[in-house]
Amino acid sequence: MMGTARITFDRWEGRYAGRMTSMRGSAVRDLFAAASRPDVISLSGGMPDVRRIPAAAVSRALHEALLEDAATALQYGSSDGLPDLRETITALMAESGVRVKAGDIVVTAGAQQALDLLAKAMLDPGDTIICEGPTYVGALQAFSAYEPRIVAVEMDEHGMRMDVLEAELAALGPGKAKFLYTIPNFQNPAGVTMSAERRRRLLELAREYDVLVVEDDPYGRLRFEGGHILPLKALDPDVVYLGTFSKIFAPGLRLGWMAAPAPIRAKVLLAKQGADLCGSNFTQSVVQRYFSHERWRAVMRDLTDAYRERRDAMLAALEEHFPPEASWTHPEGGFFVWVTLPRHVDTGAVLAEAVENGVTFVPGDGFYADGRGTSSMRLAFCYAEPEAITEGIRRLGEVLEDRLEVYRAFVAAGALPDEGAGGPAPVAAGATRGEQS
Amino acid sequence: VKEKIAVLAGGRSLEREVSLASGAHVVGALIERGYNVVALDLIPELVDTLRSEKPDAVFIALHGKLGEDGTIQEMLEFLSIPYTGPGVLASALAWDKDLSKRILADAGVAVPRSVALSVDGVKEMGAARSLDLLPAAIGGMPAIVKPARQGSALGLVRVEAFEGLADAIVSALGFDTKVLVEECLSGVELAVSVLDDAEAGGARALPPVEIVARGGVFGYDARFEPDAVEYFAPARLTPGQDADVRAAAVRVHEVLGCRDVSRTDLFLTPEGLPVVIECNTSPGMTETSLLPMAVAAQGLTFAEVCDGLVKAALARR
Repeated sequence: MMGTARITFDRWEGRYAGRMTSMRGSAVRDLFAAASRPDVISLSGGMPDVRRIPAAAVSRALHEALLEDAATALQYGSSDGLPDLRETITALMAESGVRVKAGDIVVTAGAQQALDLLAKAMLDPGDTIICEGPTYVGALQAFSAYEPRIVAVEMDEHGMRMDVLEAELAALGPGKAKFLYTIPNFQNPAGVTMSAERRRRLLELAREYDVLVVEDDPYGRLRFEGGHILPLKALDPDVVYLGTFSKIFAPGLRLGWMAAPAPIRAKVLLAKQGADLCGSNFTQSVVQRYFSHERWRAVMRDLTDAYRERRDAMLAALEEHFPPEASWTHPEGGFFVWVTLPRHVDTGAVLAEAVENGVTFVPGDGFYADGRGTSSMRLAFCYAEPEAITEGIRRLGEVLEDRLEVYRAFVAAGALPDEGAGGPAPVAAGATRGEQS
Repeated sequence: VKEKIAVLAGGRSLEREVSLASGAHVVGALIERGYNVVALDLIPELVDTLRSEKPDAVFIALHGKLGEDGTIQEMLEFLSIPYTGPGVLASALAWDKDLSKRILADAGVAVPRSVALSVDGVKEMGAARSLDLLPAAIGGMPAIVKPARQGSALGLVRVEAFEGLADAIVSALGFDTKVLVEECLSGVELAVSVLDDAEAGGARALPPVEIVARGGVFGYDARFEPDAVEYFAPARLTPGQDADVRAAAVRVHEVLGCRDVSRTDLFLTPEGLPVVIECNTSPGMTETSLLPMAVAAQGLTFAEVCDGLVKAALARR
């Protein structure tokens, strides 16, 4: 029996809260997410490669959780999380250079829940928050439910630009931004890392302008090259730090955490009780036991090696197959490469053609709250095998090549300036849709 | 039970979301009129579903490529399923704003001055070297640059100075292989919906709807952003102006060979001349679309109008 073309409409349309309009997803992205086929190489999803997690290690942790302490694992837990797991988290953070106590931690359903709870606790409609531009789309979704005004600060290869941040803060005035959200390590989607100097400068500015700093660090342990840079939280205890087990273990467990100053932690706990009373003791128990055996370190090394190999494959393929007008970032870790194209290339329109040619990516405008990013794209190297990545980039290069022929004819005719840069380059913001200069 | 009507909506065009909103509105209206309604998406299972559902007629609530350019119309004729709206040829003609403009001009309808540029012209014939001639060809800047075949003003921009033309043309060529560079008209922007009226023995225009865009250009974003545009239905026109723009819209409907319904977008220039921008053969049917506004201004209900369109299609069985 074939599928059907039948569609069902929403009969409750018109009864939803006003905030749902500000939570609209990108139509183009939904469309092509639905259109994905097995022969299409996906460079769009930021999914960790859980195929490399040994089932035996998970199975062992699972059995221990049940056999050794089923009474705890199967019961309600405390809102801030299983104490043993919070100890595990403090130990993990200490390895990154952050000293916190188990009492500073709230375990959440992925770091995503921490984003939601924090926004719920801090934001009234119309409040201003600051993020990087582009930034994590899930953060934009979590924040936008509380209807803030989002100021995006552009980045270059060293992360958020402090001169731009300072100008924005000066324009707003002290205490006027509710918080500043940043992903300093291997940023999603830009793939860039904030330098140590910028981290120090950011904290200075945050103190000067009285802004709470929220540091999201999902990829910090996935470094392929270069030295570790201390997290913001290591430099300033007032920073709210978000961590996750999604990248160092598995996203299917939905476990993350927040380390926050005591007053903020108390508000977030209230919000958490309203949301879900407490997290799952069962999964917390499993995760705590998984990290109690040293084997997880070998698994992490294996994962990091695999991601490094895929990043190398992607960067090599970009060099070989992408048109000279394209520029891209060189991530030292994490999952993503950010590609910038001449400003009149609409990557939403390119995606339509790319899907037909068997490859997907995420158009850049989804990572901005204000419509910028239309000539950029995010490429994920975390999930596809190196050969598939190479082939995907080759296909995408063909599509772009076709688009850029017109552009080149205009450049050759002297009608357009040559924007061509190529190779690793700063993260350009891209023009606002419809704006012609 | 009344006849079974399949409402076609969605599709993979860039206007999917708008089409789904149109479809939902139409489905509600047809249910209200007692029809047995099924909503169908334009996906590879469509033909199978149509053959198993066996609708008596199809209501086309698709917008954009494949739904509005004659493709679906041609297939429904092959499947012998009557459908609402203009036929294959009128759809294909109206969809191509370059071709339809030429036909309208030949028939004496006033249209803006424009030049069409194609990807092939640029790649194979060096058309990029002709940009300097553009301003004179359209009577000076500013200019409107838009894809020749794309709905809801997707990819449309207003370019103030010559220096911005190349950028705008290259951007628009990302939406279609042919773009129009068009004279930027001033005056009152109007949308005039036309319905075939069997009893009156021909096409008749609904009250014109006046569009006042805050930013000056009625582009895609403005169309679906609540506060960016102000509408007046009926438009603030003198009786004479009203008659002129209605006559122009009916003339467009007839010249292009439209059937059942069309919506003509035009400017009434300061000199009082209606100048036609384009004709839509599958106009938006969402709750905030222009045709439903005109329907309300006429004192009709949306359900009545949908019912009328369905009856006309059923009569072609």
